[in-house]
Amino acid sequence: MAVSSIAQLPKANENFKSDDENDYYYNKAKPKRIGGIELGDVTPHNIKLLRKLNQVVFPVTYNDKFYKDVLEAGELAKLAYYNDIVVGAVCCRIDNSENMRRLYIMTLGCLAPYRRLGIGTKMLLHVLEYAKNHRKFDAIFLHVQINNESAINFYKKFGFEIVETKQNYYKRIEPADAHVLQKTLHSCNANDEE
Amino acid sequence: MSPSQPLPAKENALFKKILKCYEHKQYKNGLKFAKQILSNPKFAEHGETLAMKGLTLNCLGRKEEAYDYVRRGLRNDLTSHVCWHVYGLLQRSDHKYDEAIKCYRNALKWDKDNIQILRDLSLLQIQMRDLEGYRDTRYTLFMLRPTQRASWIGFAMAYHLLKDYQVAAKILEEFRKTSSTNQNKNVHGLNNNKGTDYEQSELLLYQVMVYKEGGYYQEALDHLNKYGDSEICDKLAVHEYKAELLLLLNRNKEAVKVIRDNLIARNCENRLYYTYLEQALGLTEDNEEQRLKMYTDYQNLYPKSQMPFRLPLNFVNNPVKFKSLADFYLKRSLRKGQPALFRDLKPLYSSECEKIHSKYSFKIAIIEDLMHTYRNNLKRYGSFETDEQTWGSEDATCILFVNYYLAQHYDYMKKFDKALMYVNEALRHTPTLIELYVIKAKIYKHAGNIEEAVGCMDEAQSLDSADRYLNSKCAKYLLRANRVSEAEEMCSKFTREGVCAGDNLNEMQCMWFQSEAALAYQRLNNWGEALKKCIEIDRHFAEITEDQFDFHTYCMRKMTLRSYVGLLRLEDVLKSHPFYFRAAKIAIEVYLRLYDKPLGDSDVSENINTSNITPSELKKLISKQRKAKKKASAAAANTDQSHHNSTNEKNSDKASSESEIVGEKLIPSKLERPDDPLGEAIKFLKPLQLLARERIETHLLAFEIYYRKGKILLMLQSLKRAIKIDDNCPTLLRQLVLFYDFLEKHKAELSPPVKEVIDLEIKSLIGTENVCSALELNDRFSQRNKNSLIHRLESSKLIAILQKDKDAARKNASNVINDLEKLNSVNIEVCAQMMQSVRNGEFGAVDESVIEAFRSRCHQMFPLATHFMTSSEKKLHLMNNFDKESAVNHSTVETSDGQIGEE
Repeated sequence: MAVSSIAQLPKANENFKSDDENDYYYNKAKPKRIGGIELGDVTPHNIKLLRKLNQVVFPVTYNDKFYKDVLEAGELAKLAYYNDIVVGAVCCRIDNSENMRRLYIMTLGCLAPYRRLGIGTKMLLHVLEYAKNHRKFDAIFLHVQINNESAINFYKKFGFEIVETKQNYYKRIEPADAHVLQKTLHSCNANDEE
Repeated sequence: MSPSQPLPAKENALFKKILKCYEHKQYKNGLKFAKQILSNPKFAEHGETLAMKGLTLNCLGRKEEAYDYVRRGLRNDLTSHVCWHVYGLLQRSDHKYDEAIKCYRNALKWDKDNIQILRDLSLLQIQMRDLEGYRDTRYTLFMLRPTQRASWIGFAMAYHLLKDYQVAAKILEEFRKTSSTNQNKNVHGLNNNKGTDYEQSELLLYQVMVYKEGGYYQEALDHLNKYGDSEICDKLAVHEYKAELLLLLNRNKEAVKVIRDNLIARNCENRLYYTYLEQALGLTEDNEEQRLKMYTDYQNLYPKSQMPFRLPLNFVNNPVKFKSLADFYLKRSLRKGQPALFRDLKPLYSSECEKIHSKYSFKIAIIEDLMHTYRNNLKRYGSFETDEQTWGSEDATCILFVNYYLAQHYDYMKKFDKALMYVNEALRHTPTLIELYVIKAKIYKHAGNIEEAVGCMDEAQSLDSADRYLNSKCAKYLLRANRVSEAEEMCSKFTREGVCAGDNLNEMQCMWFQSEAALAYQRLNNWGEALKKCIEIDRHFAEITEDQFDFHTYCMRKMTLRSYVGLLRLEDVLKSHPFYFRAAKIAIEVYLRLYDKPLGDSDVSENINTSNITPSELKKLISKQRKAKKKASAAAANTDQSHHNSTNEKNSDKASSESEIVGEKLIPSKLERPDDPLGEAIKFLKPLQLLARERIETHLLAFEIYYRKGKILLMLQSLKRAIKIDDNCPTLLRQLVLFYDFLEKHKAELSPPVKEVIDLEIKSLIGTENVCSALELNDRFSQRNKNSLIHRLESSKLIAILQKDKDAARKNASNVINDLEKLNSVNIEVCAQMMQSVRNGEFGAVDESVIEAFRSRCHQMFPLATHFMTSSEKKLHLMNNFDKESAVNHSTVETSDGQIGEE
């Protein structure tokens, strides 16, 4: 059942693909990070920035309910600021399907020019930290389009694994299939307690 | 007590209780005691008791009764200083200061040494700026109470304000001698802490101020040297005064030392200090190199500062040097991501600079060039340079701010398509940088498309709705688009809840909003509302003047004398503020319009400009207006009621004094039907003539009023003043022609002395050559400015007015249109004006094809401006933007919250 609700809010990944601006340097080489990264809350006052960001970063559109829920999500939804400009965002929710209590990353994305600066890492670490401090979670998982290799590699670095592939997960984009990436948390918690 | 109506001991005790109750604001009790005295038939007409009863009633908000009792009391006892004093206090609470002064003077006749009355009188005198009277009163007070500090200070201040610095300084010095010994003893005895005696410190600094203003620089400096370290707490003021005084005394070496070690070392960003320093070092315009060297020294001394790097950009005129300085400065700012960079550099762009130094414009070119180089290199190599070693060395935000700068740069240069290109590129890069939407809005505004501008600004506002700056900006743009009620709604996000936003903004004296709203109403031909806003602004100024009253006692007590003198001087020229100027200008223009075309009883002033709206649109508009009106009147009724309730509750002591100043209620429908519009206009004009003499508009407006009043000498005066400011101003030239025409028509009626004055002056006004008619004069002015569109427009209008034959006017207008490409001063505003005049038939029936040709040529020149679009072009434009917008957002599905769809 939870799967169907996920299907309405498809696709969670860090979109590493560049768009039409091939003449930009940031498409060719790794930029140097100079500015600082901060995370900030999502509030009714700045929620439109989140919309704007998701509109640009993801090929899918999220509905109003998504944004309504995000406002209630507290630490599970964060904006990432680079040099005081909003350039990324992460939105999660708690998922109780399949007899597990898991953290589901709905979206995690960053504007193209600001990729590979550690912004995604900062956001993901925040989510992992949250999961660690609230020990009730069994795992963290997300969906990613099967051709999005950079995103898959990114998550693998943090111990995520492909546990399943869903056919025709996405409705309006190609390829429509999605991997489910998951990181189990029990071991990590146990390690910490030792 | 009054000798004429003495009270026996018991009643006298009661009367004293009334006074005490008044002082302690126990008004109800006071009335009780008054009743006890007055209920005794023997004392029913006791003047002083009646007066006090009235005064107490006044404090309870029962003004009419108060006046009755106080007057009755006074009539019963004309020789009582109490009755006169009370009457004065009552008048004062009613803000009738002149009357109050008279009452106090009468009171002093019967008790000339009454300290309380003298003090009250002095307050009114300073408020009314009766400085001589003030000095006399302070003198009396001084003689009566020579031991009090306030007596000395007030006495000295009176002389200071009268510019008798010598006497003021003497009094202060005498006082310092007596007081500093006393005070020091006091201070030492009590808490042994001299360092915190701020009042003494302020007094000493005030003395320095008086010395300095009087030109006693050496004395001032000695004073500072003597007390600066030990007794004055405000060290910054000591150093600043010292630097100034040393400069005034031409002791430049010492000045340099103070500026360098005490001022710039404290704050290396204060521009003024560098001006001082240049002066002290004797650096002038011509020795560019030495000046630059001075700044380079400070750059090395304070490598993180901004001023020493920014200021040389102003004066360095060697292109090579300028380029390297600018290069360094720009890169640093771009790396920091300073959004205000363009604003910081804008003075280098200003036309004023170009006028003074014709070579200045090369700076714009260099900056533009540098920015383009940065942009290319950043895009290609991620660096400001092309050198491979630096590749990728710059932050991702650098390119963003380069594009942001270029957008503003081209907006300033009026190349709006380029500006839009850069801002859109920046938006593609980072669509979450809100400043970009603000700039985009600004570009559209300058390009003549206010609706599009509102859309962008609304988007900016929606992205951070907790930002009041963006909220206000959006409201302002809505007002520019004449959407007043929406603007109020926008503001309501930040105004007090439960109160109508417009009322709250008025209460907060939010004048930028009110003057923009007045302009919007003026454009909408809604004269009543426009006047209402102007009068509200006028009342704010009255209120600010009024608020001054509390400071007369407060500042003296707290010894903040320097700030107090500053306040008094500010209040003297309060109405020179641009807010007042704008409001007054609108009000005068509206009154002139209402004089020219008075409204009938049933006219609704919201005449819609129907010329360029289709009938169906018009219908919609009218029904919309009707609805809005209904809503507004309902809301007004509501607030009226709630207002009533709330005032009734707290009515007791505050309401009476506060509500006075609010004045009578402003009803738009009444305001737009004034009995004497020109008289009302003159009320707004007077302060401008006094305080805004340097602005030509003041005198142009004055002429318009006096022309309609037929006051020939005042017309002459306005023209003479205007001519001194700009003798080729198109409006002025029109007025000169009208004046000449007026003279021709009324020559016979002029009295000999007037005629003599006119004959004497006319030559200097219109030049020495003989002119035989107003038309000929117009022709001459037009010839003089045959390359200026605005001048040609004005003179065409005149031809239409002066010449009965419309044919000539039409021909002339057509000629202007034909010459369009050859003319200068061709901008959106003037072209739109021209278009409006042609369409209104001011030049007779101009051929439709000519109008269309004019429109399409303007449209070519200003493709974004809505003024010159046909309705189908407008639609097309909207569609195009829709496409562009969605391209920017890459959005595939959602548009519901975009700005594109317009209702």
